This record gives sequence, structure tokens and C-alpha cells, in this order.
Amino acid sequence: MFKKVLQSLTKAFGAKITAPPVNRASSTARSGDSDTGKKGLPESDAVKSDAPPKAPSPESLCGITVKMPKYEIRKRLAVLYRRYNRAASSLDAGMRAESEMMLDAIVKVREKHFDPI
Amino acid sequence: MAEYVGIDLGTTLTGLAWLKADGNPEIVPNADGERLTPSVVYFDSHEEVKLVGSAARDGGDPERTVYQIKRHMDDPEHFVEIDGRKWTPSEISALILSKLQRECSRIIGDIDEVVITVPANFNELARKSTIAAAELAGMKVRRLVNEPTAAAIYYAHSHGVTGRVLVFDMGGGTLDVTILEVEGDNIRILTSEGARHLGGGNIDDMLVEIYAEQYRKQVNAGLFTDERQRRRVIHAAEDAKKMLSKLQRVNDTIGNDTDGIARIDLSREHFEKTISRLLTRAIMLVEQALDGVSLQPKDIEHVVLVGGSTRIPKVKTVLEKFFGKPPKSCGNVDEAVALGAALFAKKSARVQEVCNQSYGTLAYIVNARTGEEGVRNSIVIAKNTPIPCSMTQVYTTSEPNERRIEVDITQGEDSDPRYVDLIGRITLEVPPNRPAGCEVAVTYSYDENQRVSARVKDKSSGRSEEIAVTYKGAGILSDEELLKRGSALRQLRIE
Repeated sequence: MFKKVLQSLTKAFGAKITAPPVNRASSTARSGDSDTGKKGLPESDAVKSDAPPKAPSPESLCGITVKMPKYEIRKRLAVLYRRYNRAASSLDAGMRAESEMMLDAIVKVREKHFDPI
Repeated sequence: MAEYVGIDLGTTLTGLAWLKADGNPEIVPNADGERLTPSVVYFDSHEEVKLVGSAARDGGDPERTVYQIKRHMDDPEHFVEIDGRKWTPSEISALILSKLQRECSRIIGDIDEVVITVPANFNELARKSTIAAAELAGMKVRRLVNEPTAAAIYYAHSHGVTGRVLVFDMGGGTLDVTILEVEGDNIRILTSEGARHLGGGNIDDMLVEIYAEQYRKQVNAGLFTDERQRRRVIHAAEDAKKMLSKLQRVNDTIGNDTDGIARIDLSREHFEKTISRLLTRAIMLVEQALDGVSLQPKDIEHVVLVGGSTRIPKVKTVLEKFFGKPPKSCGNVDEAVALGAALFAKKSARVQEVCNQSYGTLAYIVNARTGEEGVRNSIVIAKNTPIPCSMTQVYTTSEPNERRIEVDITQGEDSDPRYVDLIGRITLEVPPNRPAGCEVAVTYSYDENQRVSARVKDKSSGRSEEIAVTYKGAGILSDEELLKRGSALRQLRIE
């Protein structure tokens, strides 16, 4: 079912593929404004890249919408928590800082939408 | 000679234990008479001496004192500069280990080989740095073991439990959650999850903020202007935290020479509200651990508390609410990890551990069913695979006439490459004039110390290349530097 073609960072960037920008070309790739980069970004990151002067709300950082049912919010928060908790130990200092900010947002959303622990 | 020795190299405290002839572990005190040694190093400006422990923590100039170096063991660029000399995290840790080795060996005999504990979420680099620290101190690392695993071994040994156990280990700097099965002397780890910045140090920082805020309100000035003053406030906050674990309200006076003193009033309710966000994060980590092995809270038979921060009543309350049963203390929550490490030194063969991280490579993946395609992190060894292990994935090359195949080694389970670390690269030269679509086998091996090595084999030419992952950065010593600095470090006066 899966075709797996070996890539490296060099190839991934050289090919200008429509997948998300790859890892540690790091902050430049993440905050860059190439269309290629934005297409593949999850909603939360898309919000971040286009951040207005006012700080985005924890919900928008986490990609939580008003109509989202509770079970979906819980599921999304769990996915984001797993992602950013690991990235909080990243070798990239920028990613570590970003992860701490996201973890804070995730917890705020959780406390707002669910019973206290 | 002490045969089975375990060291808990903690963020705030370090302890050494050995296995006595009767099979029971025991903490060995340092020459200051303390069972646990503060993980603090002071570089004196007048004498050629490195102070480690309480004297370093309580007496020295904070500008020449290194606290909580463990938090930086995974940072390739971190170093501490004192008098123009750069000290890596491994070297600072080696000074702490050296004090224990020298002083404890006077009681239990020579210490040549040790088991050292590390947080479950320590990455490859942090584990490598820990091994380097022991080598610099002149000790061979028999094995690294995850802290919650060590604590669980001690708990199983001292309480004789059987069944599924969740260890909640909240130390000075990190939180580890490990789920394991105990059957007699055999222990099978199912999963471990860890979180940085979720320990006593973070709680202290929150309390310091409360102190500073109350001081500002009363005196209309900042509570501290330099590191020495800040350290004093941290000590006061630590004491208040301990008292709030026993009392409902604490009063304190705090101040500085410039702006005078202020009265601090803290209630347990305020304290618990302050740390609630941190505890929510902790519960989310527990949920992540359970989810990772498809278990529900009701499937856990024993919840075991380890680490000084689990003395906080709210921690127990939160866990009791979540699991529907009260958590149990492993006895001495500060010493359980070191004691378990000494037991592990002898019983390691009876403990089945798992891979704590996923390792993979970057691949352009096309899903024939959904049509989705893109560069993803393709996992070769999945998290929670029993170790030691060796796994292979076969990929194809993308272009004709490739002369070099480059394989990036990733660490992390996220399929999105932005959220994993690139920890190495293998380059393999292949013969000319090959079509696209040649098969390349990527094999990763994972050893008992949770260190990874990688091998790439081009199937058609039979050529292969193998590497152990290495790191570079201002905070990392080369093998040559390790030898040189190790012999210099062993000549230092450390007290």
C-alpha cells in the first residue's frame, strides 16, 4: 500500500515538493513565507505563521474551533500534547521554546473546556 | 570492591547506593554525612578546589556556582564558563560523580563500575553525556537505567507487589511516568513517558514569583536585583513549599538590604491554584502513557509515587481522583531511585526494557489507497519496542544515476518531520548508471543503554555503511578531549 522513497534533507528541499517543510532547516523553514511551506501546515501552525499583531488565543494556537465537539477537542489536545511534549526535548532551542509556549496553550484549553483535574 | 553500585544523578540531589551481602540495597553517605548530595558545584576563586554538595549550594558566590546542570545534558551547545575555562555539562556532572565515588569508596571499597539512572525521556545525546560524565570521573557505566524503572524495582523488592504498576516520578526537574508489569522477580516495562520542566524546580520558580509579587505590592520595589538575592528567595520558597505540604498556611519574611523586608503570606489553597496548570500537564502525560499502551486508569493496579515533589498533597489528590484509588509511596521517595539502581546492577537480566523513542528516516511516502504523499518521518524502530533490538526497513531510491545515497537518522515518533530531531546522517557511495527504484535497506540497532547505531545497505551493489550516532557542539567533548580532560579532572581537588 505504501511506496517509500528514501529522501534526505537535501533532496527534500531540492525537489520543492508539496509536503511540509522539513525539520531543521529549522526556524527559517518554519517561519518562512513560501507557499510550499504553508500548504502542508496543520491548522494551528497556519494560524501561527500568519500571526496578527495581537497574540493568538490558546484555542487558535491549538486549532480548536467553536463548533468542535468535546471528544474532538480532547483528541486534538492529546495529539498536540504528544507532539509538543516530545519537541520540548528537541535539539533545536527554537523548537524547545515554541513547544513550551504550545504546551502552555494546550493546558489552558484543557482547563477551559474540561473539568478541573 | 563494591560490586553492585547504583547512582541517581538527579537534577537537585544525587545519591549512591550499593547492594549489601544480604541482597538489600543501602544508601552510602558522603563525607559530609549526608545521604543525598546536592547536585551543585562551586568553583572557588581563591583555592584550586571544586566544592560539590551542600557547601556549594549554601555558601558560594552564585556567579561561580552551577545548579541543575542535568537540565542541560541534552543541549549540544550548552557550557559554563568560569575564569575563561569552558565546562561542558558532562564535566560538571563528572565533578558531582567524582565526589561520590571518592567519598563513598572509603566506606564500601573501590567503585569501578556503576549503574546510573536517567529520566525516561532523556534523549540519545543526554544519555551519551551521562556516560561521558561517569567516564570522566573514572567509572565504567555497567548500564544506564531509567529512573522510574529503578524506582519500580525498589518498590517491587521492598513491597513484594505483583501486577501492573504505574510509577509517577516527579523529581527536581522532570516528570517521568512508567507503566510496567511485575511478576515475581521479573519486570517488564510497557512504556515510559517523560516531560521536561515539570518538577520541583518549576514549582519553586512559581513560588518565587508569588514572593516577588507580594514584596512588590508591599514595598513597591523588586525583591531581588542579583543572583545571590534570587538564590536566597529560592531557598525561602523551597522551605515554604515543604511547609505547605504539612500546613494550611505559611508566613515568612523576606527582603533585601536596599528596600527592606516584607511579610509573605501563603495559603495551601493559593499554592495549589498556582501549580494547577503544572499538574494538568502531569495528568496529560499520564493519559499519554496509558494511551500509548491502550490501557485505561482502571487497568493499573498500583500507582507508585517517587520523587520529592510527590510529597505535595495536591499531587496525591489529583492522582487519586484520576485513578480512583490512592497512590502509594515507595517509602523514601528521594532515595528509591538510587536504591533501585543498585538492585538493577544485579538484576538487570530480569528487567525487560523498551525503546523510549522512535527512530526513523525521511522518506517520500505515497499511500496508494488514499493518494496522500509527501516527505514524512518513516519509523524504523518504534517507541516501546523491547530492547536490545535491531529493525530493518527497505526503501527505494528516487532518481536514476545517483552516486550518493544520504540517509538522515531521525529521533521522535511524529510523522511530521518538523517535530523530530535529526541526529545523524549516513552517506553511501554507490556505483554509477543505476536506474531509480533501487532497493536500500536501512537497519537501526538499539542497545541496552538506549544508544542507537545505523546501517545502510544498497541491495544491488551489496555496499554498506554503518555509524554510531555522534554529536557536535560547544557542549560536547570529542573522544580525544574526553580522555585528556578525564585525566585532568581526576587530579582535581573535589570536596
